[in-house]
Amino acid sequence: MNDDGVEMPVRYMLRLFVTGTTPRSTRAIENMKHICEENLEGQYDLEVIDVYADPEATKELQVVATPTLVKVLPEPLRRIIGDLSDRERVLAGLNLLPRR
Amino acid sequence: MHRSVEHSNTATSESETIAELRLRLSEAEETLDAIRNGEVDAVVVGGVSGQQVYTLENADRPYRVLIEQMQEGAVTLARDGTLLYCNMRFASLLGIGREQLTGRPIFDQVALDDLAAFEALLARQDGAGRAAELTLVAHDGHPVPVNVSAVDLRVEEHGPHLICCVVTDLTHSRLRSHELAAANARLASEIEERRRAEESLDVALDAAGMGSWDLDLTTDRVRRSRRFGQIFGEIERGGGSGLGLLLAPFVDEDRQAVAAAFAGAQRSGLVEFEKRIRRPGETGVRWVHVKGRTHYVADRPVRIAGVVSDVTERRLVQQQLHQAQKMEAIGQLTGGMAHDFNNLLMVIGGNIDLLEGRIGQDNRSARYLAAARQGVERGATLNQQLLAFARRQDLDVRAVCIDELLVSFGNLLRRAVGEAVTVEIKAAPQRWMCKTDPHQFETAILNLAINARDAMPDGGTLTLSTERRDLDASAASLHGVEAGSYVVGIVADTGTGMAADTLGRVFEPFFTTKDIGKGTGLGLSQVYGFAKQSGGFVAVDSEVGVGTSFQIYLPSTQEVVATPATQDAMPQIRGAGNVLVVEDDANVRDVTCELLRGLGYHVLEADSARAALALVEREASIDLVLSDVIMPGGMNGLDLARQLRTTRSDLPVLLSSGYTAQQFGLHETLEGVELLRKPYTLSALSRAVERLIQPS
Repeated sequence: MNDDGVEMPVRYMLRLFVTGTTPRSTRAIENMKHICEENLEGQYDLEVIDVYADPEATKELQVVATPTLVKVLPEPLRRIIGDLSDRERVLAGLNLLPRR
Repeated sequence: MHRSVEHSNTATSESETIAELRLRLSEAEETLDAIRNGEVDAVVVGGVSGQQVYTLENADRPYRVLIEQMQEGAVTLARDGTLLYCNMRFASLLGIGREQLTGRPIFDQVALDDLAAFEALLARQDGAGRAAELTLVAHDGHPVPVNVSAVDLRVEEHGPHLICCVVTDLTHSRLRSHELAAANARLASEIEERRRAEESLDVALDAAGMGSWDLDLTTDRVRRSRRFGQIFGEIERGGGSGLGLLLAPFVDEDRQAVAAAFAGAQRSGLVEFEKRIRRPGETGVRWVHVKGRTHYVADRPVRIAGVVSDVTERRLVQQQLHQAQKMEAIGQLTGGMAHDFNNLLMVIGGNIDLLEGRIGQDNRSARYLAAARQGVERGATLNQQLLAFARRQDLDVRAVCIDELLVSFGNLLRRAVGEAVTVEIKAAPQRWMCKTDPHQFETAILNLAINARDAMPDGGTLTLSTERRDLDASAASLHGVEAGSYVVGIVADTGTGMAADTLGRVFEPFFTTKDIGKGTGLGLSQVYGFAKQSGGFVAVDSEVGVGTSFQIYLPSTQEVVATPATQDAMPQIRGAGNVLVVEDDANVRDVTCELLRGLGYHVLEADSARAALALVEREASIDLVLSDVIMPGGMNGLDLARQLRTTRSDLPVLLSSGYTAQQFGLHETLEGVELLRKPYTLSALSRAVERLIQPS
């Protein structure tokens, strides 16, 4: 998949921080679902965390706003803020676009 | 080499750090941009008391909408009960505008009775949720049943405690539960009604002496009433198969038939039978009548239910009735036969008497005649017994103490039964008096003693005793006598005893278990007829191998003993006078006339009562009328005697009959009328005629 084509397929560990059913949070959940299904079929674990229910969970990954998608693995750790409607930006953040 | 690698590593690390920092910077910028551009819903701020989430404007709209639109009332209250917020549903529940409710104490809308409960709901501060069912008061004053579940809520750390309530309208569910309760009550009253019906049915069945039973074919369990238990004796409770429990009490010989009846009921729909049971701890059998009906569900038999009654008594009475009817029929037959037989003996005996007068003093002839007369006498004795059974003999009934009779009779008895048999006479200390004919009583005792002797071929004990027994109405009716006090003469032996079938026939005339020639079969018939005619009856108990006990019941009386008058034998007297003989049987008439002529009387004859009346009218010289009692032509001897009493009161009448005087209502002694029992001897005839023609 990478340019040299020898890297083994990696497993993505993703966390999406939302606040209940606020509009952007619900949109982010829907967008994330589509992106994962289309680009990471079978190679990702996605956790959706409601910060209302568990505010402390934001501390470890230094999340300051919701919705925020955090790519925990593969490294480097990467945060993408917003409702994830900018598909290009999300894919870039997940290192799924060829580097320029 | 190693160094250069290290250097190279350091260079790589530096460039990576720069890249990382760049990345972080751009990420931070992106985050700032996102927040600035309003691409987030909430920001998370770290603080001393942990991470705080700040929701941005309108971000919580879905919650608001949810709360506003939901079909449960939602209320936020201050601790003092002031309503801070309520949703549409709550306002419509009470029919009051939200603007009127907000800021006012909730207590205004709580039913008076529930105020304390509502305050308690608010007062609890342990942070836990709690709920209560209360009644609110709507705008128009009507009560609204609700469930209020409340939870404490602290929005800000140091802010006031709020109470959030969710209010559920219970009007419909209350209505439903009211309907449910009403349905329950209806059902309960139906059950009660049915229970009462069953109870009154039980009472009715109990009054009728009937038990009830109900066999469930699907579970094979059986329900039995209390009376059922009484009829069958103490029955096993519970357990076991239902049908098995029903079948168990029946005697072995009947059980299969009962099982077949129940099996048949599943097809036919009905069961009815009368069979024998044996109660636990009882040796005798009892008869039960069982009747039931099968109930079907979708053509499948599911239960058989019915009643049961004890019919032992009824069967006993029926049996007694049959026996009495049989004996009555035999009595009629015997009586009729004895009457004709008497006439025959009369003819034979009379002719022998006549022959005797004509034949000389030839010894041989005298012997023949004596033998023939002896035959007639034996025939007359037999006939007497037949008449005794048929209850058509003359009874010389008086007040008698049978104990005295037994004692004076003892010697004769001992001779009659022989030495092998011990005779014990247990005379009662009291002198109980009863009404009977002493001679017939003695004959009855003798007959019983002879039977007892024959039942004890190897010897034994014959016990004679007397008792006094009182019979109530039901016991008396069982034997066809009147209730009251009876003196009972008991003759008991230690002989072979009798089986039930023999016992049922012992009183029938000519029924005998003895060898041919040993018994006439009339002994017990005499006992039976005599007891009946005395106004009593005879009962018998017998057990094979143990012995037999006959009890003669005679009506008790308070009268004192009358000294029996003894009749002296009278010499044959040659008389003179005119005698009218009235007799329909020509043979009897002929011999009677011959006998009277032999005695020296002048004789006129008539073959009917009417002919006799005509003759009496014509012939004033007639001194005596000798008439048979039973005659055809609508007028019997008794009618004739009564008629003559009115027209010729001076003319004596002598009636002759094989029947009893009592049967013809001759209790009232007609002046100048006497009865001569057939067959009579020449001397008896002579005495009677002489006495009437020449009254002293």
